[in-house]
Amino acid sequence: MSEMERFDSPLYRSILRRVNKPARYVGGELNAIDKSRDFFSLSCTERVHFALCFPDLYEIGMSNLAIQVLYSALNCEDYIFCERCFAPDVDLRMLLRENNLPIVSIETMTPLNEFDLIGFSLHYELAYTAVLEMLDLAGIPLYAADRGKNDPLVVAGGPVACNLEPMAPFFDLIMLGDGEYQLPNLVHEYRKCKMAKLSNSYFFLQVCSMDGVYVPSFYEPNYMEDGRINEIKVIEPHAPKKVRKALVRDFDHTPIPKSPIVPNIEVTHDRMVLEIFRGCARGCRFCQAGFTYRPLRERSLGKLVDAAKHLIDVTGYDEIGLLSLSTSDYSHLDDLTRALLPMTEPRHINLSLPSLRLDSFEGDLAERLARIRRAGLTFAPEAGTQRLRDVINKNLTENDIFDAARTAFENGWDRLKLYFMLGLPTETEEDVQAIVDLTMRLLSVWRDIPKERRSKRLMMTVSTSFFIPKPFTPFQWERQISIEAMRAKQKLLADGLSDRRISYRWHDFESSVVEAVLARGDRRLSSVIEHAWRAGAYLDAWHEHFDPDIWTAALSLIPGGADFYTRERDEDEVFPWEHLDFGVTRHFFERERKLARDGRVTLSCFDGCAVCGCDLWQTGICLPSSKVRSDTGVRK
Amino acid sequence: MTENSGENRLILYFARHGATAWIAHLDNMRLFERAFNRAGWPIAWTEDAFNPRPILVFGLPVGVGIETRRDPVEVTLKNRIDVEPMILCLNRSFPQGIEIVHWEEAPNTKRSLMSLVKAADYRIEAPMIGPAYSLTFGGGRRVVVPWTRKGKTREIDISSRIFETYNIDNDSIEFKGGAGSDLHLRIDLLLDALVCDGKLSPEDALGARIVRKRVHCDFMS
Repeated sequence: MSEMERFDSPLYRSILRRVNKPARYVGGELNAIDKSRDFFSLSCTERVHFALCFPDLYEIGMSNLAIQVLYSALNCEDYIFCERCFAPDVDLRMLLRENNLPIVSIETMTPLNEFDLIGFSLHYELAYTAVLEMLDLAGIPLYAADRGKNDPLVVAGGPVACNLEPMAPFFDLIMLGDGEYQLPNLVHEYRKCKMAKLSNSYFFLQVCSMDGVYVPSFYEPNYMEDGRINEIKVIEPHAPKKVRKALVRDFDHTPIPKSPIVPNIEVTHDRMVLEIFRGCARGCRFCQAGFTYRPLRERSLGKLVDAAKHLIDVTGYDEIGLLSLSTSDYSHLDDLTRALLPMTEPRHINLSLPSLRLDSFEGDLAERLARIRRAGLTFAPEAGTQRLRDVINKNLTENDIFDAARTAFENGWDRLKLYFMLGLPTETEEDVQAIVDLTMRLLSVWRDIPKERRSKRLMMTVSTSFFIPKPFTPFQWERQISIEAMRAKQKLLADGLSDRRISYRWHDFESSVVEAVLARGDRRLSSVIEHAWRAGAYLDAWHEHFDPDIWTAALSLIPGGADFYTRERDEDEVFPWEHLDFGVTRHFFERERKLARDGRVTLSCFDGCAVCGCDLWQTGICLPSSKVRSDTGVRK
Repeated sequence: MTENSGENRLILYFARHGATAWIAHLDNMRLFERAFNRAGWPIAWTEDAFNPRPILVFGLPVGVGIETRRDPVEVTLKNRIDVEPMILCLNRSFPQGIEIVHWEEAPNTKRSLMSLVKAADYRIEAPMIGPAYSLTFGGGRRVVVPWTRKGKTREIDISSRIFETYNIDNDSIEFKGGAGSDLHLRIDLLLDALVCDGKLSPEDALGARIVRKRVHCDFMS
């Protein structure tokens, strides 16, 4: 439907007038791509219409760099027209159902079921029910096995793809790893099959040996009587025994989207983004991204500076964010901030450096950041005692924390957020009490600074979430603590953190349990997710929409319920993700788990190779010649 | 001669339609700020040390779902510019659907643009809205509708806020309504009044096309 036809429709207007923030749904943003004129003049077999879907609201999806990167990469090809589609908020969802209207793409209002391929970018487990809702609103059968040759193929990717087994029956294909080259390559293969009028089954066979392309129907887990997995059988002879993730080896030459879409409404992260490196060298034992994105690969300083200059000109944003898993680990951070400030300061553009490590917040960098912006500062010690920080391999000392806080206070910061995780393996009551003590001592640090050298007021926020054991981490075997234990730990903190300068915030108990169940879940959970969705679960990541009773009822359908999935796993247990390969070996994780139990740390990749397995790609920090590596360290 | 002189303040008049008509006022302001940044306009900033903002003043907030044809926005510039080429550049920097259609130098007054706004011309299109409008407001009838804001409901005399009716067709009406701080006419309340009387269906009211054709300010001739 052309833009003119769309906005001339009274029905369209009447629906938009009944929903909150209608601009979410109408598109028309700067740099949004509408190829309809040329694209639809191609013959049907020559073109591939791709719906890039994000199963959450527009404001969340448009804050996500993956959407911008994939949108740009796919639309580079003339024969691909990639459009976007986000989950409708509950008001629009109800109106679509009441009026029997399908969910449509943003750019041309094409119903989702008319696309060739539908690709979901999945970033967290609590978005799963929104996938089902979007498929259902499109009139597309939920289960891949129920879809016919006229239905689109449904593909998923993103960080949770490392264990999408609970959702596997709903997807035709799951993409593992870096998507910017892999997804266009997949679409290219799809087009070849489409032009040759070959079946989807043939297409799956063609692509199943490509790096990062996982065809769930080619693998079949079977279970023991107690519910644990016995084995995951490869039922298609041509499919690889293990599917290895796709990895961009030359990250410096991956294109940075030249013309990112600039949303017309305020989105959650409303800024231009520079991905300075991908992967992480640190090895925090709870962090899934820290392992699944390995090895660390940097972009060169020159490329980033050029990209920043261009993005400032073409987007007009008043903030630029440097994106990575640990910003201060960028080997040219000092030079980069020095190069960016002359561009940003005169134009009133804030420079945002999220994911700064505490031990890097010092001297020049702190002073420079203070000049730009003195909004809140967030530090993540993760645990209250040195013992527990060593267990999780945070590699941060108490001195690092106090030095960073003192630097912040002396540079005028008056809001400090501290992030901790509760329920970590081996955690004791002392560890939880230590969070209170640490916070109080940080308050004393501020008090002890002469008044003329610090801010007049201070507001500290202590924020806690509950540890969720994740696949592809050394803690993938660990249990999640019970809700009763969560409540007790949270109460201990709430009672202890009673100073008027401290506010305490915590994550929901029940949604943490659902997240933990789904994170390490198997295919049997697909019926649980479907049940929860049919009972009304939708947009579960939103506190106001999450209904614990729905999930409790749904999980009771599985023998053992939630406890079966949150339990500690046997050392030799077959994981639901056993047939997937993200580079880091199971052997490495086993070794790391033992070191955690002994309270011993492993140094970062900067200090020496810990032989995790990712050197197979021979790129980034794994290259012997890597400039970001110094082979001086050994494991303690 | 396109270079402005005197104070570095300009009034730009913008039209918006299509997708951009659904942008709320605060988002619209942000969109303009970014477009000025992209186009390299030397916008002056407030001198607030903690939260400096570019100095842009919209004459009248523009409601969600309302198209405009000539809404004023005042910009304060750090230095003089060659206006017309800069407007061409600015128009290229907007998303499709927004365009500057006219400009003039700001009047030499200390009053804010918002306080100078007095009225606005509207065109509303909906099936059988003309007869509904005539029956509701015809013969100088006083039409009062309830308006609830922040939990308090008060009665608003809609008819006294319609200053002039230009044209009535079966499926469209054109009129001048009050705008700004005195006697501001809310278009949703006008449509409510037509619906309340049962002359316009609620569905047609929701599906109406609303166009603000012009904003009248004190300094205009």
